[in-house]
Amino acid sequence: MKAPESPKMTEPVRILRFNVLDRLFHLVIMVTFLIQAATGLGRALYPTAWGRGLTNFFGGYASATTIHNRVGIFMLIAFAVHIAYILAKVEWKAWRQSLFNQDSLVPTLRDVRHLGQKIRWFFGLGPPPTFDRWTYWEKFDYWAVFWGLPILGVTGLMLMFPLGFSHIMPGWVLNVVLLLHRAEALLAMLYIFIVHFTIGHFRRGMFPMNECMFAGSVELEKEQLEKPSWIARLEYEGKLEEVMVPGPPRWYRVLYFVFGYTALAVGLYLLFNIILYRSYIEWH
Amino acid sequence: MRSRRLLREVLLPVALGLLGIAVLLPAPAPAQEEVTTSLRRYREHEAATGIYEEYEVRPRRVRPLVGVPEVLRRTSPYASYKPRAAAEAGKRSRLLDSHAGLEFYEQRQCQVCHVEQANHSHTLRGNVTCRHCHGGEPIAGINYYFSPLNPIRRYAQVCAKCHEGATASFATFLVHEPHPGTLSTRKTFPSLYYANWFMFVLIVGTLGFFGTHTLVWVVREIFVGIKQRKKPELEPHGEPEDEGPGKPEND
Repeated sequence: MKAPESPKMTEPVRILRFNVLDRLFHLVIMVTFLIQAATGLGRALYPTAWGRGLTNFFGGYASATTIHNRVGIFMLIAFAVHIAYILAKVEWKAWRQSLFNQDSLVPTLRDVRHLGQKIRWFFGLGPPPTFDRWTYWEKFDYWAVFWGLPILGVTGLMLMFPLGFSHIMPGWVLNVVLLLHRAEALLAMLYIFIVHFTIGHFRRGMFPMNECMFAGSVELEKEQLEKPSWIARLEYEGKLEEVMVPGPPRWYRVLYFVFGYTALAVGLYLLFNIILYRSYIEWH
Repeated sequence: MRSRRLLREVLLPVALGLLGIAVLLPAPAPAQEEVTTSLRRYREHEAATGIYEEYEVRPRRVRPLVGVPEVLRRTSPYASYKPRAAAEAGKRSRLLDSHAGLEFYEQRQCQVCHVEQANHSHTLRGNVTCRHCHGGEPIAGINYYFSPLNPIRRYAQVCAKCHEGATASFATFLVHEPHPGTLSTRKTFPSLYYANWFMFVLIVGTLGFFGTHTLVWVVREIFVGIKQRKKPELEPHGEPEDEGPGKPEND
């Protein structure tokens, strides 16, 4: 344990990484994603005892479908709000500067270079890349959700209103759409539960819980190792003092630790059962 | 000016919203009305004359924008309808009793012979049995002209039993979907085949790349350790990124 409450240690300096809205968006996608994963998986595996049990947790097949549909619509609305938020955040008068600066999530050539450096470092062929605020895998995480959510949303809407959609296109398109929806959902679940969890929480130095998406702030000392360029830039621009924030209060830490571990456990439980029941998932 | 603003800020969004609703919501449920001719309603006709005619069932008012080419293209009503993914549908599909002459037919259950067909979501999840759609004995082949599953009326006589307001386009949804990955599907249902392989490559590619990337990274970090990394690299980290100095103030 890190034991931040031990009286001998001085409070580590923390700097702000995610503002309240960023964290709120993450919280929303976290909760809704897990609900969609559970209700969707339960129905995809309905012929198995486990799938039936999971849908029964949501009140049975019909009820799980209703929850899945409503949460899906809520996610699309939240996505629209998110788009409004990022559009409002960009300074359109200096859009090049605003989109391609180091605090932006837009991928640039530098990310490709960082990936190359990282792979060289994997095999001991060079130093690790010095990351700025967002690393290439963090950008990939963001854009994967950004494209995955509308794909799942649009295909989901088509499946939610099959009669309406078969007015504007042949009904057999729904066969294809159903396959796309399931495959995309499986990709999203496997990616989140394996790659995202591992990078976020199970790496050495992150284990067992990476608090920064809940606390919003990170310890400066740790970040100097993870994102040295960011800290160097903040120092160079003289903004380091500005972003220093106090640590999260104790009650809040307890709350998000309980919540975070629950979410991790749910994700790993679903992953375990995806692997266990993989041959029962209907692809068609 | 004000009216223009009104147009832009109120009327346009409302119109777009209504358009969206019109597209998304199912059409006002059309009664599956039985008609003999366009002039007389069947029930009135039946009640007045006591003559029971053969009739077609068609939905009122609804004209889907999407036609079903397999149905429209037929030169005569007796021409065989070859549904997607049913290339093997032979002449039995055109018989009144599609199982005529099969030995021990009475003693068998559907899924004994139709293994693949018994395994689909309508049955597995919706508790729909074969007979709900294919009817009782004798089970007519789907291309038999008077079969309820003949595509000229299946949407009305079969699909609409549960899916109120089903159209001919809706009824082209394949309940007995072929396995999407097989070569025969490439011929019978190419879009499903290519969608399947596209998603397969996407999943394997993404997870293969990032999975390996993450695994190697975790292993590497275990061996290196953060504390060891700290010493030799704090100096090189001082070198700023190419855009570091001389960078104008942003945000």
